[in-house]
Parts: sequence; structure tokens; C-alpha cells
Amino acid sequence: MKESTAYQHGIKEPSGLSPRIRWLRDYYFKGNERAWNNSFTCWTTGTPWDEVFNEMTFYIVPETFVLFSPLCGSYLQAARQVPLHADFWNWSIAERRAWFVKEVIVNHVPREVLPGDLIAGARFNVQTSLCLNSKEAKEWNRLVRGKKGARKAVKWFHDHGYGNAGATSGHLIPGHERLLASGWKGVHADLVQKYNSLEKNEQRGEKGAQLRAMITASTMARDLAHRYAELLRSMASKEADNARKWELEKMAENLARVPWEPPRNFWEAVQALWINHMLIMTDENYPGPGVSFGRIDQYLFPYFKKSISEGMERDFAKEILKCFWIHCNTAYDAMIKNGHQGITAGFGQLLTLSGMGKGGVDMTNDLTYLFLEVIDEMSPILEPKPNVRLHRNSPDELLDILVSMIQSSQGAPFLLNFDERSMAGMILEGERAGIPHLINRDNVHDYAPVGCLENTMVGNDRSGTVDNNLNLLKAVELALTGGKDMLPCFDPMTGKTEKMRRDGPATGDPAKFKTWDEFWKAYAKQTAYIIPKCVELYEMSESIRARFFPTPYLSCMVKGCAEKGIDITRGGAEINFTTMEAVTYATTVDSLLAIKHLVFDTGACTMEELVRALKDNWKGHEVLQARAKNRAPKYGRDDDEADDMAKRVMELWCEETWKHSTVSTKRRFRPGMLSWNYWVGGGYIMAASADGRPRGQFLSNAICPSNGADINGPTSNSNSVGKALGGKAKDGMGTWGDYINLLPNGASHTITFNPSILRDPEHREKFKAFLRGYAANGGTALQINMLDPDMLRDAQKHPGDYRHLLVRITGYNAYFVTVGRELQDEVIERISHNKM
Amino acid sequence: MKAHDKDSSVRGRVLEIMRMSTEDGPGIRTTVFLKGCPISCGWCHNPESIKPGPQLQWISTSCILCGICVATCPQGALTMTSEGIRIDRGRCRACGNCAEACPSGTLELMGREWTAEDLAGEIVKDRAYFETSGGGVTLSGGEAALQLEFCLELLKILRAKGIHTALDTCGMVPPAHLEKLLPFVDLVLFDIKEIDSKKHRAFTGSGNEKILENAKFVASYRKEHLRRHRIWIRTPLIPGATAAVKNVAGIGAFIAENLGNAVERWELCAFNNLCRDKYSRLGIDWEYADAALLTREEMESFAETARASGVNPAIVSWSGMTLLDTETGGKDREADAPAKPRAVLKHGCATLRTMED
Repeated sequence: MKESTAYQHGIKEPSGLSPRIRWLRDYYFKGNERAWNNSFTCWTTGTPWDEVFNEMTFYIVPETFVLFSPLCGSYLQAARQVPLHADFWNWSIAERRAWFVKEVIVNHVPREVLPGDLIAGARFNVQTSLCLNSKEAKEWNRLVRGKKGARKAVKWFHDHGYGNAGATSGHLIPGHERLLASGWKGVHADLVQKYNSLEKNEQRGEKGAQLRAMITASTMARDLAHRYAELLRSMASKEADNARKWELEKMAENLARVPWEPPRNFWEAVQALWINHMLIMTDENYPGPGVSFGRIDQYLFPYFKKSISEGMERDFAKEILKCFWIHCNTAYDAMIKNGHQGITAGFGQLLTLSGMGKGGVDMTNDLTYLFLEVIDEMSPILEPKPNVRLHRNSPDELLDILVSMIQSSQGAPFLLNFDERSMAGMILEGERAGIPHLINRDNVHDYAPVGCLENTMVGNDRSGTVDNNLNLLKAVELALTGGKDMLPCFDPMTGKTEKMRRDGPATGDPAKFKTWDEFWKAYAKQTAYIIPKCVELYEMSESIRARFFPTPYLSCMVKGCAEKGIDITRGGAEINFTTMEAVTYATTVDSLLAIKHLVFDTGACTMEELVRALKDNWKGHEVLQARAKNRAPKYGRDDDEADDMAKRVMELWCEETWKHSTVSTKRRFRPGMLSWNYWVGGGYIMAASADGRPRGQFLSNAICPSNGADINGPTSNSNSVGKALGGKAKDGMGTWGDYINLLPNGASHTITFNPSILRDPEHREKFKAFLRGYAANGGTALQINMLDPDMLRDAQKHPGDYRHLLVRITGYNAYFVTVGRELQDEVIERISHNKM
Repeated sequence: MKAHDKDSSVRGRVLEIMRMSTEDGPGIRTTVFLKGCPISCGWCHNPESIKPGPQLQWISTSCILCGICVATCPQGALTMTSEGIRIDRGRCRACGNCAEACPSGTLELMGREWTAEDLAGEIVKDRAYFETSGGGVTLSGGEAALQLEFCLELLKILRAKGIHTALDTCGMVPPAHLEKLLPFVDLVLFDIKEIDSKKHRAFTGSGNEKILENAKFVASYRKEHLRRHRIWIRTPLIPGATAAVKNVAGIGAFIAENLGNAVERWELCAFNNLCRDKYSRLGIDWEYADAALLTREEMESFAETARASGVNPAIVSWSGMTLLDTETGGKDREADAPAKPRAVLKHGCATLRTMED
């Protein structure tokens, strides 16, 4: 089934927009037609060996592999030369990079302010030289593109169905609150003080170089803001309209002050936040994904309160935020001229609203509601992406608003995060990594999700939340073959088929296994092979990044880097994890359940027959396939036997994951389940699986049950997810209260509902109750979709994939695929007209 | 499915367990559809719920036509035809062997046996959602009250676990059954379909005297025993049958006169015919297959009649699917008029379900 998002329907129209915002929004959506855009501009040192594109940050996007060479070439080709500082080549890479990026954004990239805009800071997407000297560039080239280089390794890993891994940019929450409180001035002073207190030989060493680079980076925002202030003053002097003139002058004043000085009011705070945020994307040469804001309704609240008390109108605060919204969306312009490449599609600059505070108190405030109004009025729009934190004491008023937004948007224009389960995972992480002083019961409520739902701490944490994506199913495949690929690997680019060899441990011919337990042991061994295999792959790009791709500006914003004098890319952050995101979880569990059921419990087939069927992609084995699909137990039905298997699989791979750390940067691996869109593409690479899935059909998504397995409705689906994560331990014996959560990163869970669940106040109450029930029993994060006509039409075409699809029409419940065609059309018609 | 003779625990025959049901009482509920019904309404949306014994069903959608069932059947009741598997209902003993052997799960024996304890275990899985929503369990059918001992045991277990309980009844049951069940029931969903007994007989095969007596009994029991159970009356409005002003007014007068303020809600449920395919699968010509949906205006008007019938107007509500605007007028409609069969009923005696999964 294809993933449907809240944004597809086009039913929801933006509302309550002023002419200013309407113009900016409409202008943004003109896309390629716009005169102004924020497409990458490219900048080179002008050396013949220069590199301007860090492909490693896209190693987790297999669709882009074929683009690396053309992108490297074309960015370099398009790059303009920047005259260098006289001492440039005497500096460390970090200092060169800090100077170069700052020079580019302050003195070379054009500056504009769009008509009516209340926030300055327009172009920030750049590809800047890696600033390597010839020796370094040669080494980079060898390590990245050489025969044993990172690029080849990641391609092998992907082509053989293991997944992917790469040291990716973004995906963290910088210390915005701290930055606002002290201004860059404070950060700068602190860095200078730290540098001056170093011993002379330390100053001459790496630590000194890093701090000097960070000192340079810490003035980038100030200098850029001052350039914008100049521009605004000149615009104001020419402006005929008095109201706009006042705004431009005010903006010039704001920028003369922030983000160097701490903001004094809401407008200044949002302006400062924007500049601070956008320059991360500049520093990393990376357009947005996962550069998240954290608990924005909390840290902006004091500024908001103050401004309101000083007479700011509530509507003006919304106007400022709506401008901020537009700016966030311009991140997508990065590749607007050469076509969007999937990397910029719909994920991202996440902001967090509501949630609990110390002692379990709810932290919803007036600004939370203001943000929700802005989201509602601006949507449908992709960025920034909101995540609302719920917990058992979330106020009814908040849930009422969320539910009405879900109703009017035909799906949730936000993700939901569930505090209790999430916090249990974060506490576990603190314990496992031996950092309870950094994550504990007294501060865990300060956590926030990154990107979509990946839980981290804030301002001192980089957890590489999308860096490793591993197909757990590969271990089942290897256990079925004694360590070899099920199918020979074919490269469509070269037209060659690789020679089959054994890559995994020799776990023996499964046909000789007499008991299920023997198979389980083989599976466990293969799991203990694929995880370190992924760890090794990650080490390649992680160590290259640590050597060659410092981000001194970002390092200033993350606690630990200045203290240690180590760049964030070298593990400078106080909390340093990299996340193993398991893909194909339910397919793996269901395949194991099917093997147990078919071969060991019922004897429906022998192991040889099963392996033959998988090699044949089930062709000629339809009866066995039907049994695998329909008679074997499945995860996601709240069936304790199946869910126990799910938990066993979970515990196994999590334990293995915790064992590893990166060598170059000492980052501990932690488990999570994000699985972005790999479950789609991976379906074509991975051989048929024992759960009845043929090659080419989608794998399961994140922690969701397999497509079609969820036949008992949303409560049973959610209960299964909660159990897979570890369930609960009564009387507060869990990690947080009763809750256990084996995945500190959290797990993506999507449920599609029938619109009729929201049809009247009584049913909306029931839906609210479902969300509260989810907080008690479910997972860490939930995306709510509503049935849409496209999905139903797809179900008409592929009924086998939609056996579970229950349509509820004002109380009438029927499995969609079993009602006649004519009535199906009727249901589609009704859903299209929102008349359930 | 097979008799478990050693086990003394009472068993019930269950058609389906529906979780996160939002239509059978307050909150989020698990509705248990029990098999067997004393009346047979012409419009019934669960024809498979009427017979008390198990029944075999075949659904074409996921059948791979492997023929294993044909070879398995000891009665020779199954044949492979060009339209798929045909069940000779005269021969089928509903032994379930074929369903057991069916690799795709398309042959299903409807009416599995459950012990009360196992079923209660299934129901409490959603306790968290019951608690956040004020929901619980609803015993429906068929007619749940016919399986007295089973329901009694189940309700006792659930009550002891603090689960809210509802009984959905057609009313055509021995009063003694109700008397035994009521102490363990928090809410009674009571169907009154037709006030005219002759018509009731014509529509359902039985007069309504016993039903109306039982309705009074449920209300008076509440008073006499100071029980706090609530009562919701439900009336399916079927075009050409119960959907008549006189009927609605009559039921209203009956409620006002006999049940008084014991009734918390009176729901008028608009007819639909989404279950048409079930009838065709069972090879039955369904007399309501071509009945049109009611319009929103008609439903509003019935609700108005109900509110003016003497009951407290606040208890009246209506639900169900009505004709789309595009179907009630305009050019599009004329083309395929007059009575393109239109979907959806709910509740006759029970919420209509299909049973494929």
C-alpha cells in the first residue's frame, strides 16, 4: 500500500491569511517559476583539486547514488571562486572551513528581502569548497571513491539487501534556547575565554585550531545580520508606504541587535532563531533534513509573554511566525533548478509543541495554541514539520484542537509523540551508555524529537538518527541459506551478475535443522553478523567526515564541543550516539513466525521446499504462499504468541546494537525504527520472504505491522506495537513509571482511520479517548492518516494487499475488498465528498 | 470448533469479535457477535448470524482455487465451478475440515466456540481504551441473550474486572433470561423495530408482543431493583417497511407511556444495503437489495416525528447513511435512476458485518 500523507488530498485550503502571507505563500508555491529562489550556489577555492560536494551525507539515500558523479562535477563546474585569506593554507581544515563558509555567506551570497516579509535571512543553500589542500583532497578521493572506498562499500551493502549507512548531516536539535539567552556575543566570549585559558602548546595543537575555527564561526551570524540590517535600512529609505517603511526600519533594528545580542522581544527572538537555524544548513551544505527546533513553544514563550504584555497583538505574533514558516520551506529550493531528488521531499525541520515538564506537569501554554493556529492556517504546507507531544495529563482543550485539525485536514498535519513511552527509552539510553548525569528522571522531560520522531536530548546531543538503516530481514535470508544471498546480485548498470559467495557466518544447511530452536540460533548468529557489518560500513564515512568535514558553526551550538575543543563531527557533543534504524521489522517477525508455523509446527512443508519456493519467488508454490500469508500467525493482531516473537526479535537486535561504538568518534550505537521510505525500494532488492511476500512487494514500514496483517483494528495494532517495544511493568517497575521502551530513538507508527470516526462530537470524543489509550498502551510516535480515495482505488486493483481495510460508514463496517464493485465505488464517492 | 468434553467451562458460539467498535454503546467497545437469532428480519444484514449452529462461508477475493477443500470435504459438499467454490448447503455439515485445510483462509467456519474465560481475556486487552473512553463490552448478535449461560459467565467475569457491559438485544427472548442477565449489565441496547404487531410478524416472522413486554420489563426491573443500567432504544428505518411516520410515532408513544425516563437515548438507524453481496454469496434473493437509501431530509423528518411523539425530545438521534446530494437530484442522478441500489445499513438486530477476515 502506498503511504498516504495528510498533504495529498488538497481538500484543506489555507485560511485566515493576511494579504502579506497569502502573497508570500503563493509566491513560494510558484516554485520553479519564481524569479527568486534559494537554489544551491557553489563556491570554490579555485584549486584544481577542489571538491565542493560531500556525497557521504546522501549515502542513506540510495536513489541518489547514480547522481554522485554528475553532482560532484556540476557543482564544481558552477562554482565561483572566492579569493582566499593570505594565511588560508596555513590553517587547519576546521579554520579554513569556518573562514570560507563565513566569507561566502557574508560577502558573496546575495541578500534579498521579499515583499512584506518580516523575517530576514533568505539565501542559505550553498555548496562550499571542502577547503582541502592537494594532499588532503587526494586522500579524501581515495577514501571516498577509491576501490576500497566508502562509495563502493555503501553500494555493495545496498545492492545486497542489507540496507545503508552514512555519516549524514542535520538530524539534531541545537541549543537554541542557550543561543537566544546569551546571544552569539556570549558564545563568542566563552570561546575566547576557553581559548585563552589553554596552554600555549594546546593552542598550537588541534584543540586550539578547533577553538579558533569556532571563534570565527561564532561571528558569522552577527556579520550576516549586519549586512541584512544595511540592506533593510536602504530599502526603508526608498520605501514609499509608511507602514512597510516602519516594518523595514524595525527589522533593520532587530538585525543590528540579534542574534549577536540576546533578543528583547518576540520578533527579535524569532528573527534570531531563524538566522541561527538557517546558518546550520549553510555550515553543513545540507538543505534542512532533520535540523530541528526542539520545544519551540517553551523557549520562545518568555519572549512571547513579554511582547504580549508590552502590547504586541496576538495576530502580529502569528504574522511573524507565518513568515518564519515560509522561510523554512525555502530549504526545498536547494535543487529547484536541477529537479528534486527525493532528498528534499517532505521531512524535516521539526518543531515540538506541548509535552510534560518536571514532575509530569503539562507544559501546554498560549504559545502552543498560537502555533497550532498557524499550522492550521498555513496548511497544507510541508515545513516546518510539527510534532505534538502528548502524555496522560495532556489537557482536553489541546486534544480538542488536534482532533479538529485532523478532521479538517483529512489526516494529521502533525506527528504525535507520546511522552511516557518515549521517556522510558531515553532513560534506558542514559543507563546503557553510562551517562545518567546527562539523561535522568529530573531532566528527561526536556527531550524532543528530531526529523520526524527520533527522540534525543536537546542542545548537547547528536545521535545520528538516520545514519544507519539495516534490513533485519537479511538475517532471516542468510539463516535460510547458511550465510549466502538467496539470489545472485545483479547490477543493472554493468549488466553483470556477481558470483555467489558466502558472506555471512556458516550457520549450516537449515534443511538439517530438527527444531525451531536450531533455526532461531542460526537467525541470531546472522543478526550478530549483519549489525557489525553495518557498523563497519558506517565507520568508513564517519571517520572520513571526522577527518575532512568539520562543522565549526554547528559545533558552537552544541554543548560539549567548546568544552572539549572537539568538533561535533568528531564526537564533540556531550551526548554522542549513532542510531541503528531497523527496517523490515514486521516482515522479519512474520517470516520467522511463518517458518516456525510451516516447517516446525504444522509440517506444511519442509525447509527445502520453503527455500525452493523463496528462490522461485513463490511461482509454482502458490498454495504454500497462501498458507504463509493467511495461516501463519502475524505480528500486529494483539496475538500474544506472535507478539512474543516480535519482542524476542526486538530484544535480540537491540542487544547486539548496544554492543557497538564507532572507533573514530566513540559514538555508541543505539536502536530505533524510522525506516523512512526504504520499505518501498528495499522490496525490489530483497528476495521473497517466508511471510508470503514476493520479491518486489513492499516490506513492512518501521514498527508497523505488515501490510494486510492488521485485521483487528487500531487498538490491537497499537497494543502489539506497545508490546514489541517492551510493554509495561506494573507498579512503576518500568523504566519510566510502568513503561518500558527498548528503542530510545522511538519508532514510527502509522495508522489509517476512517473519516467517519470524526463525524460528530460524540465520535470525536471517542477518537480523543483512543489517543489517550494510545498513550497508555501504544508506541512512541503516531502518524494519523485518513482513508483517501486513492488508497481505495488501489485496493480495488490489488485486493490481496488490502484484506484488512475496514471501511466504516456511519456505523456500518465492512472489509472494503469484500463488498461488490458497485458498492466500492459508492464508498469511494462518499469518501471523496467527505460524506461518511 | 470441536467439543471439548473434559472442560466443564461453558462455551459460546461466536460469530465475530469486533474491536474498537464505536457504534454499539458509549465509548470504545469490543462488540461480541453471538450466533443465533429468534427472529428473521427480511432486511437482516447478518444473514449468517441467524442460525445458531456454525456455517461455512466462502469469499472469492483471496481464493487461489487450489481445490484442496473439494478434496478434503467428507460430505462431497464442495465443487469447483467456473464461479469458484460452490457449497451444497444440503450436504454441508459445517464440520470445518475444509476451512482447516484451506491455505488462503477463504473458506471460513462462522461461529467458533469460545470459553467465557478465553473470550474475557480477549476483551480485557482493550481495557486501557475502555477506561479512557468510558467504553466496554457489548454482547450482540444474532441474539446474545439466547446463549444465556455463556453470557452470564462472561458478564460475571468482566464485571469482576470492572469492565462496562452492554447487552444488545432484539427483545425476543424469555424474560427469565433477561432477569438473569440484567444484574450484570450496565446498558441495554433494545431494538424496537415495528409497533404494529401484524406488520412486525410480516417483516420478522414474529409478532412484537413479547418484545414490547420485555422492553417494559427491562425498564421496570431497573426501577424495582434500583439498578443503574441505562436503556437505549434502537429502531432501524427500512424503506418500504419500518420507515413510516406512523411506526415512528407509535414506537415513540410506546416509549413515552411505558418506558418513561428509563430510556436515555432513542436512535433511528437509516437503512443501507451494503450487505447485498453477502446475500448473493449465500445464494439468496434479498428483497431489500434494490431498496433506495433514505434522504437526509427524510431522516430529519422521522427524527422530528420521534421528537414530537411524546418522548423527551432530547433522547432522539439518528444515524446511518443517506443518499448523497449528487444522488438526490441533478442530472447525474437521472441517468442511472431510479433505484440504483445504494449502500449501507446498520443495526437491524445487529451491526452488519462481513466476515472475510
